[in-house]
Amino acid sequence: MLKTTIMLLITAPILFSFLFLALGKSLYKFLAWAFFIVGAVSSIMLVLDGTGKVEVAGSSFALLENIVLILEVLVILFVFYVSAKHKSWPTLALIAIQTVIAAYSYMAVAKVESVSFNIDQFSQVMILIVNIIGTAIILFATGYMDHYEKHRHLDRQKTFFFTMSFFLAAMNGLVMVDTLGWLYLFWEITTLCSFVLIAYNQDEESITNAFRALALNLIGGITFSLAIILLSVKLDISNLSAIGTSATAAAVALPVVLLCIAGFAKSAQMPFQSWLLGAMVAPTPVSALLHSSTMVNAGVFLIVKLVPAFANTPLGIAIAIYGSFTFVMCSALALSQRNAKRVLAYSTIANLGLIIASAGIGSPLAVAAAIMLIIFHAISKCLLFLCTGEIEHTIGSRDIEDMSGLIKKAPLLTMLISLGMISMLLPPFGVLLTKWVSMEVASTNPIVSIFLILGSALTTVYYVKWLGTILSSSMDKNAVHHLKPETYFPLSFLGLCIVVTSILVFTIYDYFIKPQVATLLNIVPTVSGQGGQFTSEIGAFAYAVIFIVFALAILIYFATKNMFTPRPAGYYMCGENNLEKDKLMFRNGLGSYDKSSVSNIYLQNIFGENKLTTLGYVISILLIVVALVEVVVL
Amino acid sequence: MNSLDIAKIILVLIGAPILGCLLAGIDRRLTARLQGRVGPPLLQPYYDVMKLFQKDNMVVNESQNLYVVIYVVFVILSLLMLVFDADILMIVFVYTVSSVALIVGGMSTGSPYARIGSSREIMAILSYEPILILYALAIYLLTGTFKLSALDNVSSPLLMYIPLIFISMLFVMNIKFKKSPFDYSTSHHAHQELVKGMLTEYSGPGLAGIEIGHFYEYVFLLGLMFLFWKVNIIIGLLIALIAFLFVIIMDNITARVYWQWMLKVSWTILLIISVVNVLYLYVAKIKLI
Repeated sequence: MLKTTIMLLITAPILFSFLFLALGKSLYKFLAWAFFIVGAVSSIMLVLDGTGKVEVAGSSFALLENIVLILEVLVILFVFYVSAKHKSWPTLALIAIQTVIAAYSYMAVAKVESVSFNIDQFSQVMILIVNIIGTAIILFATGYMDHYEKHRHLDRQKTFFFTMSFFLAAMNGLVMVDTLGWLYLFWEITTLCSFVLIAYNQDEESITNAFRALALNLIGGITFSLAIILLSVKLDISNLSAIGTSATAAAVALPVVLLCIAGFAKSAQMPFQSWLLGAMVAPTPVSALLHSSTMVNAGVFLIVKLVPAFANTPLGIAIAIYGSFTFVMCSALALSQRNAKRVLAYSTIANLGLIIASAGIGSPLAVAAAIMLIIFHAISKCLLFLCTGEIEHTIGSRDIEDMSGLIKKAPLLTMLISLGMISMLLPPFGVLLTKWVSMEVASTNPIVSIFLILGSALTTVYYVKWLGTILSSSMDKNAVHHLKPETYFPLSFLGLCIVVTSILVFTIYDYFIKPQVATLLNIVPTVSGQGGQFTSEIGAFAYAVIFIVFALAILIYFATKNMFTPRPAGYYMCGENNLEKDKLMFRNGLGSYDKSSVSNIYLQNIFGENKLTTLGYVISILLIVVALVEVVVL
Repeated sequence: MNSLDIAKIILVLIGAPILGCLLAGIDRRLTARLQGRVGPPLLQPYYDVMKLFQKDNMVVNESQNLYVVIYVVFVILSLLMLVFDADILMIVFVYTVSSVALIVGGMSTGSPYARIGSSREIMAILSYEPILILYALAIYLLTGTFKLSALDNVSSPLLMYIPLIFISMLFVMNIKFKKSPFDYSTSHHAHQELVKGMLTEYSGPGLAGIEIGHFYEYVFLLGLMFLFWKVNIIIGLLIALIAFLFVIIMDNITARVYWQWMLKVSWTILLIISVVNVLYLYVAKIKLI
């Protein structure tokens, strides 16, 4: 039963990707709805099937292994072809190195006799994220892409939907498979899919950025394949789950660091962050897919899976410091950005840094926090990205300053994106709960705690700034706003997911996270969830009370609203305003009229990209080098 | 929840605003004396609130008073959590909800003055929040838990071990009371204010709500200072009183500077001394329990 579901999860998205290729644009809407339902049902089926390992051996394995080999060769050939076509020498050099390594490993590495799939609770969670959120994004895209292409005179939707669906298939494979060789193939396919999607616009900027993404991820791919060779030749390990259990931590340390570097590249941690920032040139659904449910999650997925190999070792501490450094650095950079997508991109990198920091700390509670943050972050970030895309279509800009007064122009959209932002920074929502857990567990390490404290304050600032801007009321009303079901259904669905998962946080913890931490570390975090409190040995998070108080506040507001009849008035502008056409006009010193405008504070000269990026590169590379040296020398 | 707890809740709900109102009255009297005026009666803040409730509810934005309700309710919640010895880190986060509500409320009106005030208040968050969380971290390091209930089992006062954080917290008080030189977002002194900053468009019942919220907030903030010497209630109250007097005196002897200055002071001097204090606790491995 489990085996069928696994196959279904890989083949169904591939089938849909070919359907997108075969059928006409007019049918995409129905296809996307069907895909959403199939994705949701098949992922829930996997959860109901329970956990376990599935091995495929014998003749069917031989066939599959040949397919894998052919795909691997195709991937390499494709990269050679596009690099040569666009004369991108770095990627050409990297793929040449990769080819040499692949050829070497084909000869040197012992052939595996079977392929195994390892379905644990973490895989289940990831499958739910990929197949529910991922297909919701595709559904959103069917309502989004027509408008997007019309503006840019493009007609590449077939490639777009094909790649998006194929991406989900690769991601499904990646989170389920246990054999490292196959995992590597899926890993490379996601790199390739993101390359195609980033280059979607086919202009100079998008092609440059796509090649940057390809190059940085190929570096990760190279370290990944080196790790496979080391593991196989020296220790005879060919399964991911065996790394932490079948050898001592010291023996696997070098391959683990190499795998972690691959994970850092995929999760766009410093110094690899530039590919994810460049990926914003692609249409918004692509960003949403990369940032929430697929690409970047693959990196942190791998790192969390490796926790047993570095928990409570000096390497773990190095990883924790590295992750928390990225968290504080990218939060500071996000503060200085006006471009909404850039703010979100930095916020993603920062949150992934937090996940890596928690994984590095390696205590049971910390690992639980890491997995929980992956879930909550995926939902909230997806909603934020899709809403930003919809805002761009509504007001024609992604500059935060242009979004002021959005509440008057698109109330529902504003409510949804506000929910997304609030869920990123305020209690009782899941992201803050996990941040609270990570801060409490990080308290054993002073450097990590201080980084987390500073990063958390910076996070509050850049989200509140944006939140205040979209909720501010302005008097002008000039926006075209279309309420399409295929765009608003995914948005409302994600909003609902945020609230439901935050209310059911302890159920999720009990069902998925606790057993997973037990498999990874053989200890269960001492946490109880009675009385709507998330209680650990060092603190308690009373999420239920806060939900109730929030509801109470809204209730009080509506109860008292009619006690004081509101009387609308114009702005107070020191007696010099209130012209008929625009209430924000005032009379200036020369007697003519000006419009007042206020913008947020961005602290460009303290936290600007030109001030901090170099510093970030230097320190993050230094931290990685220190981790490598530590492993090689010790 | 037993009857004692319920009595405590009721006491906080009723007692805190009375105490806060008296504090605000004392503040106004003292400030007046320092400026060589007679000053208003002690209960003037109460009369103000009562009068505000009778005014028309003038709004720029239909929903602007929702944020006031969230602000007040969450200040009360954080005060209650403090009284019930909850998790200190959690209290800081809940308190952030109330600050954010007030900021967003100011911005929601769309008035340029309010938006300037709100942006400055956001910078105030950037200045004080790390210090508040470092304070929480210090409590964890000393007691081994973030739950404040552990402070009941401690025999010596926190102040002895975290004096540098205490100094930083005094400045945090100054920022959170919105007193000069940190009263960038909205000021009690008309002479150094851009209209009324963040609260420009609030009047009548809405403003009354904010004033009541402030009463609770005063008590909450001084409660945080009280924790420094919780072992002896009298000295604890004295510490809170000293903090309060410090804030008032600072308010009267300084003038508002650029908000950038606040950020510089807090991210250099205050943050560094707090971090030094926390690192000292790590290195010396001081445990009170």
